[in-house]
Amino acid sequence: MKIGQLCVKIAGRDAGKKCLVISAVEKGNLVLIDGETRRKKCNVAHLEPLKQSFSVKDNASHKDIVDLFKKELKITLKEKKSKPKKERPKKARKQKVKPEPKKPKKEKKAKAKTEPKPKKETVKKAAKPAAKKSE
Amino acid sequence: MVQGSRRSRTLRRVHKRTPGGKTKLRFKRRNPSSAKCSKCGATLPGVPRKLPLKMKNLPKTKKRPTRPYGGNLCSKCARILLIEKARSENK
Repeated sequence: MKIGQLCVKIAGRDAGKKCLVISAVEKGNLVLIDGETRRKKCNVAHLEPLKQSFSVKDNASHKDIVDLFKKELKITLKEKKSKPKKERPKKARKQKVKPEPKKPKKEKKAKAKTEPKPKKETVKKAAKPAAKKSE
Repeated sequence: MVQGSRRSRTLRRVHKRTPGGKTKLRFKRRNPSSAKCSKCGATLPGVPRKLPLKMKNLPKTKKRPTRPYGGNLCSKCARILLIEKARSENK
């Protein structure tokens, strides 16, 4: 497989999509592809070469290939808009705060014992004298 | 007397242990047959055999392979079809 060869991917999630061979990976039958597919290594057995081939630099950038697809094949590739990475808020360890020494409690003033109030003496009413019996 | 519809084997029989310790016979619907390739008839391993009630609750990615023609054609037939398309484009 030559660099710049236009292919159709026939296996996997990108099957049926067109791609360009960008570079040959040293090991085995692997090549690097980019285009409508994701930019990734691919087995040659999973590619069906088409007639067309283009002159592409070895390991060309994704931007070059987007331009080439637009010019030559009139295919506009969707570019992924990756969100800027936000730094995760780091969790600060809770530092143990030493408890402040307790203030000694103020001793309550002992209340002066008040003398118990003298109970009111209840004066029993004298029993009414019985009615004088009629003589 | 057994209910008439229960005498047929359309429903599968499941022995369930009750909280009281006894085993009871329950009747449940059988799982549907496995999905087949529409071209060669081979079973599709990526499609689960589950009742529609459970399939409804599965995520889409677990119902079929994510490749084109996934869930309809087996990988071999899909590959052949894509190669044919590419070659016809070449002509």
